[in-house]
Amino acid sequence: MPANASETGSRLITLLASLMLVLQLLVVVQRMLITNIRLFALQSLLLASIATVVAFAYGAWHVLVIAVLTLIGKVLFLPWLLERLVRRIKIEQELRPFVNMPASMLICGALTVLSYVVARPFTALERLGSNTLGVAITLLLTGFFLMINRRKALTQVLALLTTENGVILAAIALTTYGIPLIVELAIFFDVVVAVMVLGILVFRIRESFDSMDVSKLNELKW
Amino acid sequence: MNLTPAMLLLVSLCGYAIGAAGGMLLLRRERPANVWCFGVAALSGLSGLLAALLMLAGGTGTGIPQFELFRPLLPYIHFSVRLDALSAFFLLIVSLLGLAISLFSLGYAKGFFGRKNVGVLGALFNALLLATTTMFVAGDLWLFLIAWELMALTAFCLVSFEHEKAETRKAGVLYFIMSHIDAGCIILGFLLLFQASGDYSFTSLHDIGAKMSPGKRDAAFLLFLVGFGIKAGIVPLHIWLPAAHPVAPSNVSALMSGVIIKTGIYGFTRVCFDFLGTPPLWWGVTVLTVGTISAVLGVLYALMEHDLKRLLAYHSIENIGIILMGLGAALMFLHTGHPLLATLGLIAGLYHTINHATFKGLLFLGAGAVLHATHTRNMEEMGGLIKRMPQTAFFFLVGAVAISALPPLNGFVSEWLTYQALLQGFGTTESLMRLIFPLSGAMLALTGALAAACFVKAFGITFLAQPRSAHAEHAHEVSLTMRLGMGLLAAVCVVLGLFPTQFVRLLDPLTQQIIGQQLSAQLSLANGLVLGSLTAKGGTVSTLGLASMALCLLPIPFGLWWVFARKTKVRRGPTWDCGQRGLTPRMEYTATGFSKPIRMVFKALFQPHREVQREYDFSPYFAKNLRFESHVEEVFERRIYRPARILILRASRRIRTLQAGSVHAYLLYIFVTLLALLLFAS
Repeated sequence: MPANASETGSRLITLLASLMLVLQLLVVVQRMLITNIRLFALQSLLLASIATVVAFAYGAWHVLVIAVLTLIGKVLFLPWLLERLVRRIKIEQELRPFVNMPASMLICGALTVLSYVVARPFTALERLGSNTLGVAITLLLTGFFLMINRRKALTQVLALLTTENGVILAAIALTTYGIPLIVELAIFFDVVVAVMVLGILVFRIRESFDSMDVSKLNELKW
Repeated sequence: MNLTPAMLLLVSLCGYAIGAAGGMLLLRRERPANVWCFGVAALSGLSGLLAALLMLAGGTGTGIPQFELFRPLLPYIHFSVRLDALSAFFLLIVSLLGLAISLFSLGYAKGFFGRKNVGVLGALFNALLLATTTMFVAGDLWLFLIAWELMALTAFCLVSFEHEKAETRKAGVLYFIMSHIDAGCIILGFLLLFQASGDYSFTSLHDIGAKMSPGKRDAAFLLFLVGFGIKAGIVPLHIWLPAAHPVAPSNVSALMSGVIIKTGIYGFTRVCFDFLGTPPLWWGVTVLTVGTISAVLGVLYALMEHDLKRLLAYHSIENIGIILMGLGAALMFLHTGHPLLATLGLIAGLYHTINHATFKGLLFLGAGAVLHATHTRNMEEMGGLIKRMPQTAFFFLVGAVAISALPPLNGFVSEWLTYQALLQGFGTTESLMRLIFPLSGAMLALTGALAAACFVKAFGITFLAQPRSAHAEHAHEVSLTMRLGMGLLAAVCVVLGLFPTQFVRLLDPLTQQIIGQQLSAQLSLANGLVLGSLTAKGGTVSTLGLASMALCLLPIPFGLWWVFARKTKVRRGPTWDCGQRGLTPRMEYTATGFSKPIRMVFKALFQPHREVQREYDFSPYFAKNLRFESHVEEVFERRIYRPARILILRASRRIRTLQAGSVHAYLLYIFVTLLALLLFAS
C-alpha cells in the first residue's frame, strides 16, 4: 500500500469517528424512540464505513467481514426489529429520564474529556486515525450513562448497542490486526442474541407490568 | 504399531469423552447406556493404566510426552498436556480405580434401572473421570484450573444424583460451597505464582518460589494448603466429606474417596515440591501437625459411626492425614538439607496415596455391594452377611486388613515407611523436629490401633453373627462384574503389599524429577525381597517373607489336631444361651455398644449426648418401655461452622440492601466501578 493511501485512510477514519461521537450525543438528547433508532442505525453505518476504510487502506481483509456483519446486523436488521417493536407497543417517547437533558449533556461532556485523558497514554499505540480510542471510550461511557439514565427497556437496548459500537471501534482502532476474528465474531453474535432476548423481554415486561419502565421490575424482588 | 504413553493417554481421554457422549445419546435406553458408558470407561481406564505404567517403568531415561489439545481453536491460550513422572503416578491411580469401579458399576448401576436415569449417571461418571485425568496430566495453569472446576462440577452432579432425598441435596450444596472456596484459594495462589513467572506453563513455574518474596511465598503456601486441603479433606476443612460420600451412589463414593480427594494431594505435592522451592521449617511443621490431627480425629470420629459409608468417609480423613504426615516430614527434611530422608518421606506419602486409593476404593465398593443387597447403610440393621455374600465379605475383609495396616498387605508397607521417615527425624539437630517427630510417630501408632478396632467393628457387625433385620436376612451375593471390580482392587492390595521394593522402583523417576534422588537401590535388599531402610538402625521388613511364613505356619494346627485330637469324638450342640430360650439378633453386640469404651475414654472430645427414658408399671424392676438415645456431634460443626454460618447470614442480610432490585442501580454500580478503574489505570 502506498503511504498516501494510508494517510487518507487515517484522516477519513478520524472524520468518521468524530461523526459517530456527534451522533451519540444526539442520541443522548433525543427523546423520540424512532429517531433514536435511526440515529443508531446511522452510527452503525459510520462504523461499517470505518471498517471498510481499514480493510481497503491497510489490506486487512478480515475487517471487511466485520463491516459486512455490521451493515447487515446493526444497520438493517436490528433497527428494523426495534422499529417494529416500537410500533407494536405503541410508545413513541421516552418520559422523564432521571437526569434532565441539559444536565445529561454536561455529564456526557465530562465523560468525553475523561475518555480522552484516559486514552492519551495509548494514542502512540494507535495505528489508525488520531484519538479514535478516545472516541471509542466515549461511546462506551456515554452509552453506559444512557443505560442508567433512561427508564424504558427499549432505550436501554439501544444504549447497549451504542456501547458495543464503541467496543468494536476500539478493537479496530487499537489493534487492526491484533484482535482475532473469532473474538470479534463472538462479541457480535453475543450482542445480536442479547438484543433478540431483550426485545422479547421488553414485550413481556410490557404485558406483565403494563409499562416498559424497568424501574418497576423491583416488584419482582422477594 | 508402537504404543507410546502419549498415544495411550490420548486414547484414554478420547474414550472417556466418547463414553460421556454415548451416555447422553442413550438417555432413554438404560441397558445399552449402562453397558456402553461403563464398558467404555473401563477400556479407557485400562489404556490410561498402560500409559502410566509404560511411563513409570521406563525409568528416568524416558522423555516427557507432551502435546496440545485443541491447538487451532483459541489464540493466546494453550491447553498443553504434559505427562511427567508425578502426573503419571496419579494417572496410574485414577486409571486403576477407573477400571475397577467401571467394572463394578456395570452391575451396580442395574440397581437404578427403572428408578433413575442410568444414561445420565454413566455420562457424568465418564465426564468426572475425563476431568480428573485431564487435571492430573495438565501442563499449564489454564487446563489445570478448567479441569479442576469441571471435576468439582461433575462431582457435584454425581453427589446430588439421588436428589429426591433432602439429605442428598444438603450434602450436594455443602460440597458445592466448599469446592468454591477451594477453587478460590487455588486461583489466588496460582495468581501469586504467575506474578513471579509471567507464564502459565508448569515448566516455567518450576522452582518459582526462589524468585518470590518470602511473604508472598508463605501466602501462596497457605492458600494452597487451604485450597487443596479442602479437596483432600484435612481437619478442620473436612466437613463436606462425611456428608457427601455417603449420599452419592456407591461407585461414585469409591471414585471420590479413591481419586477425587487425592487430587488435593496431587496439587499439594506439585505445588510444594515442584513450584515453591526449598521450604521454611514451619511449612513442614504445619503439614505434619495438620496431618497428625486429621489422622487421629478422623479415626476417632469413624469409630463413632454406624453408617457404613460415613465410617469409611471418616477413614478417608484419617488416611489423608497419614499421607500428609509423610509429605510434611519430607518438607522438613528438605529444609534441613537431607534430600535422601525427604525422598523417603515423599515415597511414604505417595505410597500411602495409592494404597489408600486401592483399599478405600475396595471398601467403598464392598459397602456398595452391601447397600445393593440390603438397601441400608445402617450397620445396626446388618449382620450375618458372610453366609449370604461370602465373596463380598472376603474382599471387604482384605480391604479391612489393608486399611488396618496389618502385614502383609499394602497399608502396612506404607505406614511402615511413614514410621521410618518419622523416626529418622529423631537424629536431626533441629530441636523442634526432635520433639514433633516422635510425637507424630506415637499418634500414628494410636491411629493404627484405633483403625484396627474400627474395622473389627465394621466387619464384625456387618458380616458376622445373625442378621439383625429382614433386609440383611434376604440379602444375596452380588453379580459377577461387581465381584470382578472388587476382586481386581483386592488383588492390587495384595500385590502392592507383597512387592514393595518393586513398586518403589516405579517411583524412581518421580523422586528423581522432584528431589533429584532415587531410593529404590537403598531400600531394596536381598534381590528386592526385603524392604530396607536408610540406616542400619532403621530395621528391615519383608512382607513376602511374613506371608510365606504365615503360609508355612498354617498347617501346624492341623498337624497338631491330627496328632493329638484326631481320635476324640466331635459333639455338636446349640450355643449356650444363658438359659434363655434361643438366641435372637437382639442379643448381639451392637456397633454402638462396641465403640462405647472408646467413646468414654475420649469423652472430652466427643461430648456424647445420652438420653434414657423409662416407663414403669408399678415397680422400677418391671420396665414397660425403655427408650435410649445417644449421639455424637462433631465439635467442628458446632464450634466453627455454625458460628461462621450465622455470621455470614447476618452479614448477607446487611449487604442485601445493596441489591435494591432496580436495574438502574445495578447499572450505576457497574458504571462507577468502570470509571474508578479507568481513573485508577490512567
